[in-house]
Amino acid sequence: MSAAALATRQTAALAWRSIITTLRLPQAWFPALFFPLVLMAIFTASFGGAPGNIPGFPPIRGFLDFAVCGAIVQGVLIAGTTAGAAFATDIEHGFFDRLVASPTSRVSILTGRLGASVALGVVQALLFLSIAAIFGARVEGGFWGVVVVVIIAAIFAAAVGGLGVYLAIRTGSGEAVQGMFPLFLALLFFSSAFFPLDTMTGWYHAVAAVNPISYLVESMRDEVLGGATIWTALTGIGIAAGLAAISITASAITLRRRLRVAS
Amino acid sequence: MSDQAVETQDLVREYKGGVKAVDGVTLNVESGGIFGFLGPNGAGKSTMVRMLTTLLKPTSGTAIVAGYDVAKHPDKVRRRIGVALQDAAIDPYMTGRELLRLQGVLHGLPRAECRARAESLLERVDLVDAADRRVGTYSGGMRRRLDLALSLVHEPVVLFLDEPTTGLDPVSRVTLWEEVRRLNREHGTTVFLTTQYLEEADQLADRVAIIDGGRIVADGSPSELKAQIGFPMLSVVAADGSTPDDVSRVLATFGEIVPGAVDRGAAVRLPGGSKAMADAVRALDEAGVRFAEVDLTEPSLDDVFLASTGRHLGADDDVSE
Repeated sequence: MSAAALATRQTAALAWRSIITTLRLPQAWFPALFFPLVLMAIFTASFGGAPGNIPGFPPIRGFLDFAVCGAIVQGVLIAGTTAGAAFATDIEHGFFDRLVASPTSRVSILTGRLGASVALGVVQALLFLSIAAIFGARVEGGFWGVVVVVIIAAIFAAAVGGLGVYLAIRTGSGEAVQGMFPLFLALLFFSSAFFPLDTMTGWYHAVAAVNPISYLVESMRDEVLGGATIWTALTGIGIAAGLAAISITASAITLRRRLRVAS
Repeated sequence: MSDQAVETQDLVREYKGGVKAVDGVTLNVESGGIFGFLGPNGAGKSTMVRMLTTLLKPTSGTAIVAGYDVAKHPDKVRRRIGVALQDAAIDPYMTGRELLRLQGVLHGLPRAECRARAESLLERVDLVDAADRRVGTYSGGMRRRLDLALSLVHEPVVLFLDEPTTGLDPVSRVTLWEEVRRLNREHGTTVFLTTQYLEEADQLADRVAIIDGGRIVADGSPSELKAQIGFPMLSVVAADGSTPDDVSRVLATFGEIVPGAVDRGAAVRLPGGSKAMADAVRALDEAGVRFAEVDLTEPSLDDVFLASTGRHLGADDDVSE
């Protein structure tokens, strides 16, 4: 077997292990589904009348159509934090040592974990869109709209997963990684994930207007609300890919540095 | 492959702040045996194992494991060694069978072979019935056996076991010993095990090296090491009214005093064995020395440790590393 084929197989095996250990531990997957969905429901119930009535809020079909993409991104952020914490636990408890002392390719230690994040991101996006659809939301972009939303969610999941791995190696503690979560949440709330930029004022508007998450969510939302073009889609994909490039590079560098103590 | 499973030359590992956890270890472990690396907590055992298993770079010196230099060809070493580290890192949410198959894939075994190896290893370590249960439900002994099986998936030439029985109950301990012996006997796997238990080294290993403060202080077969000590040891605990010095003064006329062997008393190596014991007791009586306890012990590995370091091994048994 060639080195590349072996690394691919090891990546798949490690991704599979990360996925099943996540699914078997309710604490690992429940928050990533529960909190975004509850928030989506509360916002939809509270601001159902907002579209078209609040200044700056566009007159769309319903608030749920507006909220679902923010929920997907929030879910991906929670799942990524959990994945980072799990990676830190692997380091703390020695699974990482077992990998390093075996001929497992060093790349697949990282790609295995990221592969799991991507797969879980895809499932999350599809699940959230389905639940929103049951309660009356509609993806105006149709099949390709769904595809774009899922692709952006998947790449963003890799970005968050990379950040999780980076933090895991830097802190070496699952609790420390979990402790970073409020920061991520702040990043999400200081964006247009839940409300349009035009409804915001002052410094809040200024922060949200430079937050890349705003434009990431908006490009997904364009697919749901309608009015998406190839350019809006590429904007979202580009932002997600840019974030992923940064976080995965950072995690690869720290992983390499961490492995330097080994032979 | 060379007839040396492990060969180190002046191996040193220095941590930040200049602490040398391993301080110039030169060691030869022949292929085919069970080698016991004995020492108290913090003596440098784990650091040594981490270097030999490519997890930690030596600060200086060389280590050749299974025929390859750990610093120059870590990948080749990794393919030939099996590693079961202290506090077995085993996913509680996966089953024994899943973990064994995963380990096979990580070692690049073909899929069919992964399955076949998993089945035969489950049988060998007696975990067939528990194979589809999550590891979180396993007992300590079952986990260690699974950990042992995981380290054998790729049929390694040298197997490293870092404190394989620490924290196990006596029955589980003996079961694991049996397994290690069988592995060594039937498959010819060289076993390099670290332990803080004298009995374990004595029972299991055909060669023992004792490490203390990062240095090897004794090296040989258990019987050779005990023979170096030679004579049985007579220990006498002083009673009220007499001091350890009183005891020591009398005992010194019968042989070589062993410093630090008895807390409130003294100990001596008796060339005359048990016969001389009666004479010694009588001499204590005649000198008017009051004593509470008299004990004659055959040399053990603890005596070897004591003779080399002036301390007992296992005095800090409960302190974890």
